[in-house]
Amino acid sequence: MPPLDKRIKKFIKNSLRVAPRVSNKGELAELRAALVSQYPQTRKDAIKKTIQQMTLSKDVSSLFPDVLKNIATNDVEQKKLVYLYVMNYAETHPELCILAVNTFVTDAQDPNPLIRCMSIRTMSMIRVDKILEYVETPLRRTLQDDNAYVRKTAVICVAKLFQLNKELCIELGVLEDLVSALDDANPMVVANATAALTEINAMDSSVVNLAELINSHVSQFLLALNECTEWARITILGALAEYNARDSLEAQDIIDRVSAHLQHVNPAVVLATIQVVIKNYSRTEQQNPKAFMNRLSSALVSIMSTPPEMQYVALRNIRIILEKYPEVLTKELRIFYVKFNDPLYIKIEKIDILVRLIDSTNFKQCNMLLVELKEYAMEFEPEFVSRAIQGLAQLGIKYSEEKFVAKTLDVLLELLEGHENLKDDCCVAVCDLLRHSVGNDTMANNVCSVLNSWSSVESTLTSDAAKCNYIWLMGQYPDKFTSLESKLEAFVQEFPQEEPLTQTSILMTVVRLHSKLSGNILQNVLELATNSIHELDVRDMAILYWRCLSVSDSEKLIEELCSSVSPRIENTLDQFSADVLEKLLTELSTISSILFKPKSDRNTSYVQRQYVVRGKQMDELKDIAKTEIAKTMNDDVLLDFDDDDDESNPQISGNNNALDDLDELFDFGSVPSNSANVDQGMKNLNIQTQPAKKTSNTQDLLDLF
Amino acid sequence: MVSGIYFCDIKGRPILSRRYRDDIPLSAIDRFAPLLADLEEESSVIPPCLNHRGIQYLFIEHEDLYVVALSTSLATNAAQVFTFLHKLVEALGDYLKTVEEESVRDNFVIIYELLDEMMDYGIPQITETKMLKQYITQKSFKLIKAVKKVKATARPPTGLTNSVSWRADGITYKKNEAFLDIVESINMVMNQQGQVLRSEIIGQVIVRSRLSGMPDLKLGINDKGIFTRDPETGESQVTAGKKKSSAELEDLKFHQCVRLSKFENEKIITFIPPDGEFELMSYRLTTPVKPLIWCDVNVQVHSKSRIEIHCRAKAQIKKKSVANNVEILIPVPDDADTPSFRYSHGSIKWVPEKNAILWKIRSFYGGKEYSMAAQMGLPSINGVEKPKFKRPVQVKFQIPYFTTSGIQVRYLKINEPKLQYKSYPWVRYITQNGDDYTIRLN
Repeated sequence: MPPLDKRIKKFIKNSLRVAPRVSNKGELAELRAALVSQYPQTRKDAIKKTIQQMTLSKDVSSLFPDVLKNIATNDVEQKKLVYLYVMNYAETHPELCILAVNTFVTDAQDPNPLIRCMSIRTMSMIRVDKILEYVETPLRRTLQDDNAYVRKTAVICVAKLFQLNKELCIELGVLEDLVSALDDANPMVVANATAALTEINAMDSSVVNLAELINSHVSQFLLALNECTEWARITILGALAEYNARDSLEAQDIIDRVSAHLQHVNPAVVLATIQVVIKNYSRTEQQNPKAFMNRLSSALVSIMSTPPEMQYVALRNIRIILEKYPEVLTKELRIFYVKFNDPLYIKIEKIDILVRLIDSTNFKQCNMLLVELKEYAMEFEPEFVSRAIQGLAQLGIKYSEEKFVAKTLDVLLELLEGHENLKDDCCVAVCDLLRHSVGNDTMANNVCSVLNSWSSVESTLTSDAAKCNYIWLMGQYPDKFTSLESKLEAFVQEFPQEEPLTQTSILMTVVRLHSKLSGNILQNVLELATNSIHELDVRDMAILYWRCLSVSDSEKLIEELCSSVSPRIENTLDQFSADVLEKLLTELSTISSILFKPKSDRNTSYVQRQYVVRGKQMDELKDIAKTEIAKTMNDDVLLDFDDDDDESNPQISGNNNALDDLDELFDFGSVPSNSANVDQGMKNLNIQTQPAKKTSNTQDLLDLF
Repeated sequence: MVSGIYFCDIKGRPILSRRYRDDIPLSAIDRFAPLLADLEEESSVIPPCLNHRGIQYLFIEHEDLYVVALSTSLATNAAQVFTFLHKLVEALGDYLKTVEEESVRDNFVIIYELLDEMMDYGIPQITETKMLKQYITQKSFKLIKAVKKVKATARPPTGLTNSVSWRADGITYKKNEAFLDIVESINMVMNQQGQVLRSEIIGQVIVRSRLSGMPDLKLGINDKGIFTRDPETGESQVTAGKKKSSAELEDLKFHQCVRLSKFENEKIITFIPPDGEFELMSYRLTTPVKPLIWCDVNVQVHSKSRIEIHCRAKAQIKKKSVANNVEILIPVPDDADTPSFRYSHGSIKWVPEKNAILWKIRSFYGGKEYSMAAQMGLPSINGVEKPKFKRPVQVKFQIPYFTTSGIQVRYLKINEPKLQYKSYPWVRYITQNGDDYTIRLN
């Protein structure tokens, strides 16, 4: 209940009010009547109600003429409301806006800068060529306005105009005005002009030479940097990141001038600064790398105490930076420990960074992480737990020392025994560890004795990767399993229902062990694989094996095939290829850096969206809109597809088993008669099981080939 | 850059939108809700950046709202977009008190206006609420100004585009005061044995400025890295044999009003403050600290019958100090019921919606030790699965007049060149729990 005096005031106000009220029903007839009421207050209320209906996505465009009548007013608030309405329908009913053009032109000369801005801002957004013709004088005038607030709005309008009508924009010559705005005394105008030029350059790089403009304005940018809003700083830093320093001295100078911004409170400013600093650092003589790394670390760490979305951007970017400068952040491991209230997507990124960050020569650190990861593995969010277990295997392999690997293995086995639901993940992880410590018999014994004790494995394990690994293990250490044959038989029975990875693994293991198994299993699998499987790779592989086995005097070949030893895996962390890394480093803090998809070099098929309406027929307009939208969608889909196909797109997936499988296949492929087929098969398999992942192992394999 | 900003309800349906450029189809936002739903079905890892048909959906969650920014370009600066969305919500908070579905629906006019002013063509412009309030005055505007004269029409304040874009001219106060709060939040994870697994101190210096004109402030603190040279006497104050009392702060972050280049070169913190309250700087320290409030928690589960919890809390701070509003939140299984408590101090209750028991102690003096015991029944039927409540014990507290890092304000000099008034700086210290002050249960 408001205080008494307020209530009295309200009562008096209400009882004095003569202007009729507008109901909340939002009926068009009522609104229309109210919009032309003789009482200003009623009219204003009606505009508000109209906008309310508009927000609720009701079509109130039929009220346009009536709302427009209210635009000529001294009441700034009311004017704003009308502009709001007009701006909204500028998109869907551009032809109606013609009616308002005179008011726009008058308002562009209003003594109040707020109104000047509003008018120019609205005008440059209406897609009607008739209006664009009127825009010239006001735009030119506002670009030279005394008021910086108006100028900063006007420079952006140039970019809007360019998007709507490139030719007109060039013809009017406002681009020159825009370029000269880079020399404006006001830093905000400079920043907005830079942003506008960047936009124009992205639409059509032939109109302005952005790189050259940036080159000639570096000193202005550096000067403006210290005096503008945080957003303007980001724009300016972005422009500076495009600039290539002439020599190491200049690069050093730029670093010195911007690095104060590493301490800005806005994390986006910090990231933008990091980008400039990294770019220039590679050009300096790198005299004091330690101090530089410290500076970089502390800036990155500070972003970890911002909202989660920002942390996410930072974590994905750290992943990129780490690959270029692995020495950064090594002392800050603790910062990336998971907090119990972190969102899940942050927790998972953190584990990824933790494992990468660890110094593989520092036992104490590794051991600490081991304990920590074990703790995570006992939480209850399944994705998190499974990532933690994967992390354990990655950690073990990274540290690589035998005792430590054994210790990691113990942790995994302990988890395996205590928790029913972790079996899948642990099974994959222990197999990865075994692949790393090839020939370590005690470890193999430990693992096999645990795994061997499971009954009905084919239903205990649920994921494709886990089954595949289990079967691989049986193939590698057949002596350590009891009742091997019945175990395999159980898998073979499910063969047609399994997923491709498991199928491949079954096929290989059966071939490998065929001398130890009773004859019909092999026959059975090969028949199943060739007749009832639609998966091409599995089928091709089965055909190859079959042929190979049926060739006369192939004992030696089969011998080789069955006794091949997979190479030891050294690293389970995936890496970017060099050129992708370089590209990503120049794109820090953008969306492409979060998705790890660098912008493709080819001209990003920009279609100039000529929405400008020349006819005034509604139907025509709708058609234009429809085709435009359809076109855009098509473009986008195409673009998406290209990105996915990108070879270097590093999907996180840690199934190394496929690599070993490949290796076995490779042995087989050395038979000259079949090499062409195998070549094809291998390529298929490679693409199929390892979606565009380039680890050193794959590379090795290909090299061998 | 951003193509449009949308406020969506908890299900992802749009409530209010502002499109800044027309390179996305009107229907793009309608895909947001199904997109979220599809993802949720697949896994619970939902990153704040989704990609669908070449349109990027960047979003943050706030109360029962999703604030979504759409963009078509991969070159869009995601860091900028996320910070902007947070700033937007913060600014709306200043206007609407709470930003939630209902208040957004009720205040669409002002939100439209703010969206218009804060972003233009997808490029963030002005987000400083103190400045925005001077010319976006929806509610208060018509009430006060309409009674006065037409003269007071809203105009963009001249300060807006100046280099001091965060402070307007002509602010006056009868009494000129500046309040400085040093707040340190401790994040600490311990295990049940009392071993500190990690700890950090996150400090903030919050200023509430009630000063007239364009005052220039200079802050001296006892950080080793920061030179607290007194400008008048030219003497360095720190090096007077008091090395022990200086702290070394890491990861300093400053509000945009602080002259960064001056700090970079001369290590002096100088600034013209915005009016009202703001965070001047923040810092972080990783020096190990011992637990200020330590809880020895002992949980015994007798499956199928009951769970027993014993907790001994100790305030390991100076005798003279006191920890206020101490809250200890101990997790219990979600199927536990019928609680019974024994305790010496404070109050205890069972919070079923959090599956925990909450022990509150209004004031906890240094060196004191209190204990409690709780017993709850467990259902006797499904005893197969082990009770899953792997959540840590959370502790909350506030300790006034005390900082863990030992940071101290040496001086706060206020100088307004034109008005030359007398001013009063006030300093307050407080140490509290951070958002992760927890004890892990085995």
